[in-house]
Amino acid sequence: MASSSVAPILAAEKDKSKVHKLSLKGSAKLVAEFFQYSIHTILFQRGVYPAEDFSAVKKYGLNMLVSSDDQVRAYIKKIMAQLDKWMVGGKITKLVIVITNKDTGEHVERWQFDVQIFKPTKPSKSSKSKLSSTQENDGSAPQAPVEKTEAEIQQEIAAIFRQITASVTFLPQLNGDCTFNVLVYADADSDVPVEWGDSDAKEIVNGERVQLRGFSTANHRVDTLVSYRLQD
Amino acid sequence: MATASVSTPLKSHTGIFSSRTAGGRMPLTPSPRQRAIPINLNSSPFTPDKPTNDGHRAASKSVYGRDLSSHLARSTSGAHRNSPKSNIARGVSTPRKALELGVSDFTLTGTGLHNRGTPASTRSKKTAPLRQKAAKTSINYAADRFIPNRGASSAIANVGSGKLDFQEKQRPRTGNSEASSVLASATDDAIAALEGLSLDDGEPASYSRPSPNTVAYQDSLADACGVNLNQRILQFKPAPPESSKPIDLRQQYNRPLKPAGAGAAQFRRRIATAPERVLDAPGLIDDYYLNLLDWSSCNQVAIGLERNVYVWSADEGSVSSLLETSPDTYVSSVKWSGDGAYVGVGLGTGEVQIWDVAEGVKVRSMFGHDTRVGVMGWSKHLLSTGARSGLVYNHDVRIAEHKVAELVSHTSEVCGLEWRSDGAQLATGGNDNLLSIWDARSLAVPKFTKTNHKAAVKAVAWCPWNMNLLATGGGSHDKHIHFWNTTSGARVNSIDTGSQVTSLRWSPHYREIVSSSGFPANSLSIWSYPTLVRNVEIPAHESRVLHSCLSPDGQMLATAAADESLKFWKIFEKKAGAGAGVGGAGSSGKAEMSKQMTIR
Repeated sequence: MASSSVAPILAAEKDKSKVHKLSLKGSAKLVAEFFQYSIHTILFQRGVYPAEDFSAVKKYGLNMLVSSDDQVRAYIKKIMAQLDKWMVGGKITKLVIVITNKDTGEHVERWQFDVQIFKPTKPSKSSKSKLSSTQENDGSAPQAPVEKTEAEIQQEIAAIFRQITASVTFLPQLNGDCTFNVLVYADADSDVPVEWGDSDAKEIVNGERVQLRGFSTANHRVDTLVSYRLQD
Repeated sequence: MATASVSTPLKSHTGIFSSRTAGGRMPLTPSPRQRAIPINLNSSPFTPDKPTNDGHRAASKSVYGRDLSSHLARSTSGAHRNSPKSNIARGVSTPRKALELGVSDFTLTGTGLHNRGTPASTRSKKTAPLRQKAAKTSINYAADRFIPNRGASSAIANVGSGKLDFQEKQRPRTGNSEASSVLASATDDAIAALEGLSLDDGEPASYSRPSPNTVAYQDSLADACGVNLNQRILQFKPAPPESSKPIDLRQQYNRPLKPAGAGAAQFRRRIATAPERVLDAPGLIDDYYLNLLDWSSCNQVAIGLERNVYVWSADEGSVSSLLETSPDTYVSSVKWSGDGAYVGVGLGTGEVQIWDVAEGVKVRSMFGHDTRVGVMGWSKHLLSTGARSGLVYNHDVRIAEHKVAELVSHTSEVCGLEWRSDGAQLATGGNDNLLSIWDARSLAVPKFTKTNHKAAVKAVAWCPWNMNLLATGGGSHDKHIHFWNTTSGARVNSIDTGSQVTSLRWSPHYREIVSSSGFPANSLSIWSYPTLVRNVEIPAHESRVLHSCLSPDGQMLATAAADESLKFWKIFEKKAGAGAGVGGAGSSGKAEMSKQMTIR
């Protein structure tokens, strides 16, 4: 990387990496936002909280159900606050939502989102728009990455949510009261706030696994996997 | 939801234009570029990608199965050297021989210098840095005969066989490329366990011969978790909130998935999402700061297209060119007077002209601005003009000394200006992100100056049913609609629309407001007020919607966009439920009661 000793080239490189950080940040935000809606959707679809607690919002061209229960919202918000930081830092490789039977303590369902971070490769071309007197006319320059438009990414995400929604058709009936936990596979060197502690993977023993769709941005790829306990 | 594209039959308008527009596109003719609005019939929501249950299991097996053996076949045939991914294989070219000898590659990797010389650099880009480390470390730890331990710990029963060991050595590569870390290979885990051990215990780096038992324990532990020890699995410790009541999913699945939305849908009116009519507007200047479209109380639409002003009669469907400016300037704004008899035309030079439309003659020219007049507003005989300089003048059009007031507040181009219907207040918005609310009785200073918007304020609309309510929308860096109480100056509501707000129009009949947007949505959004619920978002144009205006009966919205088309939308139709018959709109309009305005 820093093999060049010529000052202008160095400067240019620095500039590029700056641009990159921004787009990486945007991508991380998008992924984090996807996680947030995933959590809400799974909580609704799997009946962890009553359906009346959820209200529909328009997102990704779908009606997403988001909990309107203050406590649940605050809980998820706390998770997301930390997740955002980790995502931007590129510390996370997996996010897992585990649904656990309250009575038996058995993990019955496990939603896993694998995150892959792409190495920044090509320089991005977007230049900062200057504040001229006609800034509104310049505003139409898209800031999305070159290879995939925002709309395409949104569609991919929408497809995942459709799958999550549809997965209730094959997932076994959850009996009894269930609760959920959020796990994160983070790099060993991540900063860990006090609310987060080490845990086991909470794998489902002899579980069935179904790979769902994934989506990718310029910087991230997210794959979805649900594993569940087979009904005996 | 049935969206039929409105096909307007071509009329015999060629006679009107034959002389003027030979060869070119004719202004305000039905657009040839009628696009059929795509009906989003989503295919079955559940079409999983190939990898279902079986697919996944196959993938998991492939580590040991077909995939590997095929790879092995390839590598024994010598092809691995060319494989760009085969980094390890390259390093193990000697072990390949050893393989035939039946010697474990670990022996060789430990002693062979060639492997020491294949650090991360030979690893392909796909390999995560994390793994690189592990791979390097492996060389150190595997420096000695180590096979029994691995055999004891990892679940692989085939230790000792050199051939299979070789496979093992290659597995990290396969595993990584499969990206199936759930199935992280036992080898990786073993290596990681070793490394983790040395890290956690703070052992010196020279520590190279771990106790077999510890290794075995770490290994099996890591194996059981199925993870790399370079990673931590973290759990959000606080317990999630209790569910307010027990849930029977069976019951939940039997009800509509979105009960709230379903209930509201019954009360929601249907809004036609297809345009009633599409006209061409060639040469429409793509400039946010201009105001080139207006609909008069006499049901005529005036539009400024570069140097011309055209008047399109919605009653007759006929179009006429009202004026053409001198070549050195262009039309920067048009505005009908309240009675619909005159149209004010602002020019790029700062001149303001008033035209009698019935006669087709200019009544007068008013000078004063030295920069382009981008926005105008009538209040009876008063014409307010906002210019690029930031100045707003009030002209009394009846008298020779027309300039009666100079409103100084904005420091940059004024692009939004709207009189309240009773003429008591005036709202102006500018490119300085400022919203000024003026009291008509004292125009020396604005009554309120609002700085909430973070971009130019072009969209300004007074609520028809609540005189004190003003809605304003900001440009592309702001994307908000703010609602103001203009008596107290308080901001009463806000909406983040997600895109540049180019215009706002209140419905006179429904408690709704429509916003047109530029980048990125290029859509029309209809919002309920005061609930601020977005009732519908219509993808209106291919590029940003620049101007909009309501028909005199308040049912129809005309929008002009940078894609040089003028579209008419029946979004505030008075009678609900008639939305299905959009296709026959041309004729149904005529058949309806005479009170209603029609466009032809």
